[in-house]
Amino acid sequence: MSEDIISKLKENVIQGRKTEDDEGIEEDLTGPGVIELTQQALDANIPANQIIMDGLTSGMEVVGEKFSTKEYYIPDMLASADAVGAAMDLLKPHLEKSGVAGKGKFAIVTVKGDIHDIGKNIVAILLKGAGYDVYDLGIDIPTEKIVEYVKNEKPDYLGLSALLTTTMVVMGDVIEALKSAGIRDSVKVLVGGAAVSEEYAKEIGADFYCLDGFDAVKKLDALQAA
Amino acid sequence: MMTTISETDIDIDRQIVCRYIGYSRDVEPSPRIASLLDEYIENAKHLIEPSYSYVIKNVHEVNDNCATVEDSVCFEGKVISKLLDRCDKVAIFVLTIGGRLEEIAAQLADDNMIVESYVLDAIGSSAVENLAEFVQGIIGETAYHRGFSISRRFSPGYCDWDISQQEKVFQALDGHSSVVKLSPEHLMTPQKSISGIIGMAPSQNDVATYNPCKTCEKHNCVGRR
Repeated sequence: MSEDIISKLKENVIQGRKTEDDEGIEEDLTGPGVIELTQQALDANIPANQIIMDGLTSGMEVVGEKFSTKEYYIPDMLASADAVGAAMDLLKPHLEKSGVAGKGKFAIVTVKGDIHDIGKNIVAILLKGAGYDVYDLGIDIPTEKIVEYVKNEKPDYLGLSALLTTTMVVMGDVIEALKSAGIRDSVKVLVGGAAVSEEYAKEIGADFYCLDGFDAVKKLDALQAA
Repeated sequence: MMTTISETDIDIDRQIVCRYIGYSRDVEPSPRIASLLDEYIENAKHLIEPSYSYVIKNVHEVNDNCATVEDSVCFEGKVISKLLDRCDKVAIFVLTIGGRLEEIAAQLADDNMIVESYVLDAIGSSAVENLAEFVQGIIGETAYHRGFSISRRFSPGYCDWDISQQEKVFQALDGHSSVVKLSPEHLMTPQKSISGIIGMAPSQNDVATYNPCKTCEKHNCVGRR
């Protein structure tokens, strides 16, 4: 019974079916989607960390492989990550209750002056799908608000997004402001966006440059494994 | 102040949208994404409100790093100077598909409909590029009747033309940009807007073929033409 639910959960992650109403990659797939199956697994008293490892993460690994072999493309990957993110929301209270540590708290934001949010949203959903506890602070957020958030909410990671050369400089301001507030070392800072480069990330003292959402997941997972 | 055109004049090319959302050329999306694309392309036609404006000015003086046009507006940058050095006139334009589509895309993201938001945003990008082609065609026709040929489009942010030069473009538009606003960071609102210039030179001039990418060393540049 438990194995059946978990195996269906994994299959529905691969198919990117968040709910029973969604179409999968295979057209004729019906029945409960990831949200309903996650609830069924909880009702069957399957431990939250087992649901994550054997159902969600295991499914996302297959999605990642299919993406790397070009069987899947970005929208397919996003659909799966979105489904996993929704399941993680359902599992969060159960994880907290059982004291299982997640992969960490990730705050993501588009810096002051920049109103682009599609790239940030994609990174957020991919990180959520990979098991990170993601908090989206929004777009055009003043530096002082970001610093205040880091000080009060203590995220493990801070992702800064900016699309243009005129706004990417604000990412450097945020890092300097974190230093001035004495909290730079409390958080790993990741930066990304069309105009940002590895060199620029180094220049402003960011911990990581991320080419895209997949790169962010890869780098953070490598950091976790180290 | 800006000329409004019918949304039916703007094609949304499904193939281009597929490329914008990450599919390789000639790859057909999965049936689910394909039906989503068809549905959203159809809906987007009711969300775009295309409008444009352009002015044509004389090119007055050009040196290595600055091209001064009528009313003393100076466009700074080597590539732009090189382009306008070949031109008698320059068309300065701004165009937009309006803000409704991006409002809906943002709303979809807020509602956790990320795939739908991503697809709609790409449709908007395709629509605004098609509108730019449409406007370039109108400018080309105007130029032709005056005995001129036109260059490619150049926008602030291309090559060495700094994005801060948006201010100069808007200044040169003399207020003919009512729908599109410029932020202090030189970002346009609505986001799905394009501004820039098109050089105009006597037809025998080689301005139409001028392509700075051919001699540029940034081989991985996303804007390479």
